[in-house]
Amino acid sequence: MSSESIRHNSSAWLTGLREAIPLLGGYVPVAISFGLVATQAGFSTWEIVAISTLIYAGASQFLFVGMAAGGAPLWLTVAMTLLINIRHVVYAPNLAPWLTGSRWWPWLMHGLTDQVFALAHTRLPRIPAAQRLGWFTGAAVLAWSSWVGGSLLGAVAGEWLTHRWPLLGEVMPFALPALFLALLAPRFTSFRWSLALGVSMVAALALTLSGLTSVSIPLAAACGALCFYAVRHRPRIAGGIGS
Amino acid sequence: MNAGMWLAVMSVALGTLAMRALPLVWMRRRLRRFGDEPGLDAMPPWLGVLGPLMIAALLGVSLAPQRQDLVGWLATLVGVAATLIVWRRTRALGWPVVAGVIAFGLVVIVARLWG
Repeated sequence: MSSESIRHNSSAWLTGLREAIPLLGGYVPVAISFGLVATQAGFSTWEIVAISTLIYAGASQFLFVGMAAGGAPLWLTVAMTLLINIRHVVYAPNLAPWLTGSRWWPWLMHGLTDQVFALAHTRLPRIPAAQRLGWFTGAAVLAWSSWVGGSLLGAVAGEWLTHRWPLLGEVMPFALPALFLALLAPRFTSFRWSLALGVSMVAALALTLSGLTSVSIPLAAACGALCFYAVRHRPRIAGGIGS
Repeated sequence: MNAGMWLAVMSVALGTLAMRALPLVWMRRRLRRFGDEPGLDAMPPWLGVLGPLMIAALLGVSLAPQRQDLVGWLATLVGVAATLIVWRRTRALGWPVVAGVIAFGLVVIVARLWG
């Protein structure tokens, strides 16, 4: 590898790291909560770190420790946890056209969370092909380490932290919707797209408020897709207004 | 954790990795079949539509405020407005997020001071 390509890779790595910083606002407070909840459920600090490192999927980790602590059968715990993560199957194929030929990509998909997908889906097409591996590695490693570090912090000092700085835990998670908004704003390019995106967003919000958080993402995206295709296939009425 | 619990953790970890990585392997094979210059044309159209819609759904889920009272909703509304205003001016990624979080935080702080 030439010194030029090493320099390019390290700068791409740093760019990915920098662009993933907004994710920390959402990751760290939730990871601290996970560490705290898992400690209260009877898991040791190193078990919590192992769960966050190996599973690395927010909602399903909460479900896993909750069901395990509640004495649910392990096969059911595993099945329900995997069911929540099933939405991830559509993420990597969506990124595939912009991924290079490196053999590292399938392994790097361990870091493909909801938020990293949203960031990568917007940023990868705008990054030169030679820098994409470095960019993704930097972004994914920062997100992963913040999740693991936050879980450790929550396990060790979660109770103290939430009492000491309750405001921080309330305000910082807004970084996630703000980031999604900034990623999504350029996609409101036509009535068709605006309608589909708006419907997905409102449906997900409504489902979450109804307590159906675990199914809200795939269901809301399906609603948006229906709208997208319904607008395309809307039949024209001959002689009607505007015809 | 006992051995059974470790087995459960490893099963979930491997299952999640498979759900994230195997579809990529499938898609890469499909793209390769389309020749030397694979691109968006090789993607099933529904998949290209689903990507942005999943991000919109993520936005919807994350917009639900932790505290679902007037302050929570007002802070969310102000945070969204600040994010969009700064995005329109900068077309960047970082500053809109900073502005949104600050605006959201200010509403929460003002509400606390008044409360």
